[in-house]
Amino acid sequence: MTVAVDRLDATFTALADPTRRAIVARLARGDATVNELAAPFDMTLPGISKHLKVLERCGLISRTRRAQFRPCHLEGDVLDTALSWIEENRRVWKERFDKLDEHLRDLRRAPSPRRKGSNQAGRFTRKGGADG
Amino acid sequence: MADRTPDTGELTYTRVFDAPRALVFRCMLEPEHLTHFWGPAGVSTPLETIKVDARPGGVFETVMVNDSDGSRYPTRAVYVEIVAPERIVWTEPDSGVTTTSTFRDLGGERTELQIRQANAPAGYRSPEARAGFATSLDRFAAYLEKLGGSR
Repeated sequence: MTVAVDRLDATFTALADPTRRAIVARLARGDATVNELAAPFDMTLPGISKHLKVLERCGLISRTRRAQFRPCHLEGDVLDTALSWIEENRRVWKERFDKLDEHLRDLRRAPSPRRKGSNQAGRFTRKGGADG
Repeated sequence: MADRTPDTGELTYTRVFDAPRALVFRCMLEPEHLTHFWGPAGVSTPLETIKVDARPGGVFETVMVNDSDGSRYPTRAVYVEIVAPERIVWTEPDSGVTTTSTFRDLGGERTELQIRQANAPAGYRSPEARAGFATSLDRFAAYLEKLGGSR
């Protein structure tokens, strides 16, 4: 489950910034120039460029050297590696929750017919170390 | 109000259960309960593979077994904090991921369980990562997913 962790680290670090995430989201819809990317933000072009450099360094985006336009392109594979880690994690917890829900239903169906003074649920077999 | 630290690259999963808080709390801590739900769909977690030493520094280990091909996925964590019936924190030494389960009593025997995962993966620990996160990363992922693939 540990896939190219260094690269993943760099990707997550790059994605840690909301502006960069917004840029990535925009590029997921198609290539765009720096000007186009800057438009929705209250930010100078150099400001945007700085973010683009971070994204470029970790391989999330690439830029073609085409005159002054240099459209940015999202490298889907790099993003996918990061996203699949998140997706996998989310799926696991969703399915755990589903199963837990079912388990709780079973528990509540089985022993006492219905709530009210359901204090069998209030007892702990283990104590927590409340103050460490 | 739950604490709202200006947090970072956390992943957050929340679900409301129709059960009293004390019971939901026990489910997350006791092997006899964990065995029923710890493995995601198609994956079992046999009772005898679950080790819970419920105190700070104690182990939390499981082996998840794929129902179809029998492949095994061991998990290894150490409890950091256990406050019944409010909070359980464990950390996975291998990955550095710290998971916090928070149990909130909603009244009427309903309980909100929130799972927060921090430091996932290690890059989250960088100051840069800490500074930047405004919205949760998993919601961002979901958003991108909705866009129809990032290719």
